[in-house]
Order: sequence, then C-alpha cells, then structure tokens
Amino acid sequence: MRNSVIIAVLVCVAPWLAAQGLSRKVNLPADSPVTLVSVDWGGTDATARGGAFFLDVHASMALRNSSQRRVRAITFAVLSQEVTPGGKGSVSVPSLDVAPGDVFPVGIDLRLLRPIAGGAGVEVKLDGVLFDDLSFYGPDNLQSRRTMTVWELEARRDRQYFKKLMETAGTKALQQAMLENLSRQADRPLAGMQMVRGRATNIEPERDLSFAFLEIPDAPVLAMNGTARVAGSEAHAPSVEVRNRSERPIRYLEIGWIVKDQQGREFLAASMPADVSLAPGKTGQVGQDAALRFPEHTSIQGMSGFISTVGFADGSYWIPSRAALGDSRLRRVISPSPEEQRLTQIYQKKGLSGLIEELKKF
Amino acid sequence: MSRISQKTAHVAETDLALYVSNDLPAWRRVRVGLHFSRCRWCRQMAEIYRDDRLRFRETASQMPPGVNWNKLSAEITANIRVGLAAGECVAPRKRKAALGWRPAAAMAGLAALLICAWVLNMPSSTTQELGRAFTAIWSGSSLNGVRGINPARDNHGLVVELSSSGIELRENGSTVLGVSRDQSKLVDVSASVEGSASARYVDDNTGQMTITSVYAQ
Repeated sequence: MRNSVIIAVLVCVAPWLAAQGLSRKVNLPADSPVTLVSVDWGGTDATARGGAFFLDVHASMALRNSSQRRVRAITFAVLSQEVTPGGKGSVSVPSLDVAPGDVFPVGIDLRLLRPIAGGAGVEVKLDGVLFDDLSFYGPDNLQSRRTMTVWELEARRDRQYFKKLMETAGTKALQQAMLENLSRQADRPLAGMQMVRGRATNIEPERDLSFAFLEIPDAPVLAMNGTARVAGSEAHAPSVEVRNRSERPIRYLEIGWIVKDQQGREFLAASMPADVSLAPGKTGQVGQDAALRFPEHTSIQGMSGFISTVGFADGSYWIPSRAALGDSRLRRVISPSPEEQRLTQIYQKKGLSGLIEELKKF
Repeated sequence: MSRISQKTAHVAETDLALYVSNDLPAWRRVRVGLHFSRCRWCRQMAEIYRDDRLRFRETASQMPPGVNWNKLSAEITANIRVGLAAGECVAPRKRKAALGWRPAAAMAGLAALLICAWVLNMPSSTTQELGRAFTAIWSGSSLNGVRGINPARDNHGLVVELSSSGIELRENGSTVLGVSRDQSKLVDVSASVEGSASARYVDDNTGQMTITSVYAQ
C-alpha cells in the first residue's frame, strides 16, 4: 500500500520536477551584427500537459546594434523543438531605425509545444537582420530576408507618402489621412478562418469557382485566369495562370486571395506566395495544396485576387504603389503595411504632434 | 447452532451417530465426549448406535452370493455425485457475496488519482472538447462549436486558425501554439497558404510593432 502511494505521487510530480529544469538560451552567432545586452525571461514557464510541455515564453531582450549600419528590421526564431508541430514560431520587429551602438528592445510572447521526453527548453535564434541599405545578415531559415525587405519597401513608400502629404497639403491633411486610416482599419472585415495544408475533408458538393483579378496597372505580373475548388464555406486547391510582362526574370510572386460571402462582403482571406521561374513574356502556373475554411454560416460566392509582391531574379522587389492602393475595392480589403499601422497607432496614442515628430526621424 | 439439544440437554442423534462412526469434527467430538462424562442417557444411546453398527457390518458380511458390496458402494457414490452435478447445472446461480468496503475504497482512490492526473496533465482545451462531446452525446446534437467552424469536419492534423483575437496553431482540436501578449494591442492577423499565420501587435508604451508568426510545417 505504501509503495503504491509513493508511485502515485511520483507519477503526479515527475512532469513538474522535469519542468523545473527549463533551459532557456538566446543564440547569437559570433559575428552577429547585434549583441545581447540583457535578457529577462520573466514569466517564462513550462507546464506539463499529457505527453508534452507547453512552454509559455515571455522574454524581453535588450540588443545593441554592433554593426556600422542602421538596423531596419530583425527576426528571431523561437524554437522548442524544430521538428515538432507547434515547436517553432518567430518574432519580427519591422520599422526600426537603430543607429550603430544603440540599444533596442525585442519582446517575445509565445506559447510553444515540446515533447516531454526531450525535457523543457526554449531557444531563441537570430534568423535575420535587415539594414537600411537593404543588405541582410542571417541564416534566413524562415525566409525573413524576403519578408523584411518587403516590409521595409512598404514602410519607405508609406512614410514618403505621409511626409509628402504633410509638406504639400499641411498637417490638417495628414490628420485627415490618419482619421481615414483609423476608420478603414476599424471597418476592415476580419473573418474567422482556418487554414489547412493539403486536402480538407468535406462532404458537400464541390464546384470550380473562377477568380476575378483586380488589375494593378504597373504590376510586372499579369494574373490571367484562375480557379479554386469550392464547397460551401471551404475553398481549396487554388490555381492561377500568370504572365511576366516585365523585362526582368521573376523568381517569386505573391497573390492576395479575396473571398466574397453571401452578403457581398469581401475580405482578404490569405496570401498565396510562390517561388517561380518566369522569364520575360513567359506564362506559368501558380498553385497551392491548401484549403481555407470559414465559419459554417459563410457561403463563398465569389473570389478575386491581386498581385501583391513580385521578386525579381536580381533580388529586387516590386510592391503596389500608393496610387494603385487608392483603388477603393483594394483599399477596403488589403492590410495596411506594418509601418502605416504603426504610424496610425502613434497618432492615436500621441496625437498629431507625436506623429509629425516620428515622421521627421528618418 | 449448538448440536446439543437445548430442550433435553442431550446430544443430537445425528451427532451421536457421527461420533460412533468417528466422523464428527475434532472439537465437536471433544465436546460430545465431555457430555458423555455427565450424561448416562447419551452414553447409552451411543452404545446402541455402536451395537447397530456392529450388527450392520455382520449383516453386510453376509451379503447374497454374487453381490459385491464394495462395487455397489462405489456405484451408489458415483450416482450421488452425478446427481449433485446435475443439480448444480439447473439450480439458479448463486450470487457472489457482495464486495466489502476495501475494494470500493481502492476504486474510489484510483478514480481520484486518475482525475488528479487528468486535471494536472491534460490541456484545458482537451477537457473542454471532451465536455462538449459528452454534452453533444447527451443532448443528441452535433458537435458544432469552435468559433462557428465545425471541428468534426476536419480537425485532424495541423490547422492554422485566425480570429479577431489572434492566431493559433491547432492539432486535433487542441491549441499547440499560441500567441499571447499582455501589454500590446493586436492590429492585424494574416495567413499564408504556405502554412503560416502572423499577428501584428503594437506596444502601447513604446509604439514598437512586433509581428509574431506560427508555422504549420
């Protein structure tokens, strides 16, 4: 009887004891352009649940730009176990302007999963740093170079737009633009959605639904036609035919996928990135083996798409201009850039003077 | 029950017969022996039985020719056993005696241990899913629920889920990766059909934008 009690107690407390040995580390390469000044793991904790640890990672890092260039964006991979589903996340900070020698903060708040057999541990690894000259440092395992470069290009476009607006039309116009932004962001439909890789199960009858493409005049890629299989509130296997109408070879493109429901509401469902090899004037097919699933009361009535990013073989990128984003239909559904959202939040928090001060920084 | 009659204070005749044939259990044999020391009537009855036994043996030894008593006795014994076995077959089955309090206490303890282990080790989402499933079975309704999306339809494998409250990576209905930010304001969520989702947060104090991503691959 006594032995049984001891065994039962051990079974109950073993995961807790294992969780106490939580290992935490920030892994920066020896030649990293940023150095760790301090790290506060705060409430980082591991909780045993079934056969796995749930790692609540709450870390606050202070990093110094030890390079000679200004840091514009940084991405960290947060890993509990790379091969385990749910064991990998990332934290990126765009819209930075960190001078050489300056210290800047990066916060991490994630909940990760790790099999109990491997013990509890979390590792924060540098994935990439983007500088003001668009040069990049890092292993780029998470394709952070491409993502951060696009964010930086969008940030430059939007900052330039707002600065020009302020210079030509005055602070009142800037204020008006911010108010419109706030209103648009509040009204932008944000549908609850699930996305699964591969084919989802659905017993409802399927039909092919064609994309209607929004024309962006200066886009180097023309989306010609495309379809997806649709059944009720689910759409899968999108496929789009594209043509390179630029004079440069294209290696990457991203298509925004807009869905219209039975009430006529449109919302940006997902982006469809694809690595391609399109010579000038050539056509190709872009497809993804994935399914989007909306709440059951939603009935997909229509779909449209637009070219949102194009990556050329020389490493440069195209993004839609502010003029192209002026299209009312596109403006209604497309996500503002991270920089535009940040500037809007600054306006909301600090007012017009705070925003002007921010725009004058760089 | 006492084998010595309370009414006459004599030993029962069945016990006397067994005593004489040495078939009485030892402790009862001692008791009957002690009774004989003070009861003449019982001693006499025992003597009568003893005489009957001797006479029976004499009579048995004078069995008719062709009758083997030992063989006959074995057949009678066998028939009795067959009869008893047949009776067992047709008789109503006896219920086993009810279990005592110890097995019940052990089962209660085991149940408490299992409940504690479940509460300590299983995710609350799993408990909630189980609760919903039991509720659905009880009420006979379907399993509709998670943010209006039918989890029974296809929640196997990894699912990236977006909502106005953030992003999650779910497997078999349970959250395996989530994003939680206390001091920050969620401004946007987005998904890529490559199998990732991102949530944008702006820190209320510093105005710094942080983009957190989860990966289904």
